[in-house]
Amino acid sequence: MAVRTHALDFEEFYRGSKDECLLTVLVSVGDKEMAQDLVAEAFARAWASWRTVSRHPAPIAWVVRTALNLNISRLRRRREISVPDPGRIERQIAIERVADSSVDPRIMAALLRLPARQRQVIALRLFLDLDTSHTAEALGIAPGTVQAHLGRAIAALRNDLVCERNQETPP
Amino acid sequence: MNDDDVLTAVRDQRNKLLMTTPVEQVISRGRAVRARHRIRRLAGTLAVVAAAAVALTVLLPANHQPTAQLAAWTVTRQANGTINVTIRELRDAAGLQSMLRADGVPTSVTFGSEPNPSCREYPGQWNLSQSGVQLSNSSPYILAIHPSALPRGAGVWLGGKFDFAYSTLGHPQITYISPRLPKSPVSKVVRVPVLGAGLVQASPQCTGS
Repeated sequence: MAVRTHALDFEEFYRGSKDECLLTVLVSVGDKEMAQDLVAEAFARAWASWRTVSRHPAPIAWVVRTALNLNISRLRRRREISVPDPGRIERQIAIERVADSSVDPRIMAALLRLPARQRQVIALRLFLDLDTSHTAEALGIAPGTVQAHLGRAIAALRNDLVCERNQETPP
Repeated sequence: MNDDDVLTAVRDQRNKLLMTTPVEQVISRGRAVRARHRIRRLAGTLAVVAAAAVALTVLLPANHQPTAQLAAWTVTRQANGTINVTIRELRDAAGLQSMLRADGVPTSVTFGSEPNPSCREYPGQWNLSQSGVQLSNSSPYILAIHPSALPRGAGVWLGGKFDFAYSTLGHPQITYISPRLPKSPVSKVVRVPVLGAGLVQASPQCTGS
């Protein structure tokens, strides 16, 4: 009976949080297929340690942290650094948008132009709705640093999106 | 555009990107991850115990060494149906496997090689000692199997390999495992048997029945 409850709890958690996790990790890694693989592996590890993860104050943050750590390990093994290409992700999402998604490619591209830490803070705070302390814990930084990154990220996004809007508007 | 507009625009992207990996696929991968963790934990624990036992043997004076040559393993059946296996050396895995199967225990035994690829971990959460299998944590290893207490459809996996440990000479209690070669001149490398046991799904390919 305990096993069955364990399975049901995990399935509910997975279905309720997988899309937000994918979006959060995508913002960090800049490649949808890679993000999907990382998130799936992170959820598999969460299942394997579900007794511990389910008691975590923010299990969704545990999954995202694990996915990002897996990405770091992958890059170390490859001995090369992959820098997300805003143009590539914009094109990729623009194509997929027609088929099955309505993610705004301008916003995704603007997010990908932010420094990595700012992107992670934005994703954890806005996509996962984590509070400052859980975001700080997930990223291993101080709560004050989270607030500073969030403020800078919002200012940069505002400037970026306003510039794009002005460029689109005919004089 | 003010800060609230930015926050709203970014937040609105939620749930617009769908993760398509089915939950069954994630759980299946999770089972493999958990099986790997269990085997590592078990092997790690037993390796430390085995290293301590071997180091004690190595460091004992010569006149304490046993003189009789014992078999690599012995299988005995108790009146209550319990099967006791005493393992002194990791030799003749096929012979041990045949004997246990003849005694009615669905078993897969591998010494010094990878586990049988046909074997699958027994599903669900199980505790080895509460599932009819007890393994002592000192050398020689004694495995007690209670066939009637094995879960339905379960078999016993028994795996052994050699690993390297090093002990500080003169201090057998400070024996520990390290993947590195010893740097201290007062350390001695010892080759230790590592034994693990677990439950697998009984099948003709894995456990013979």
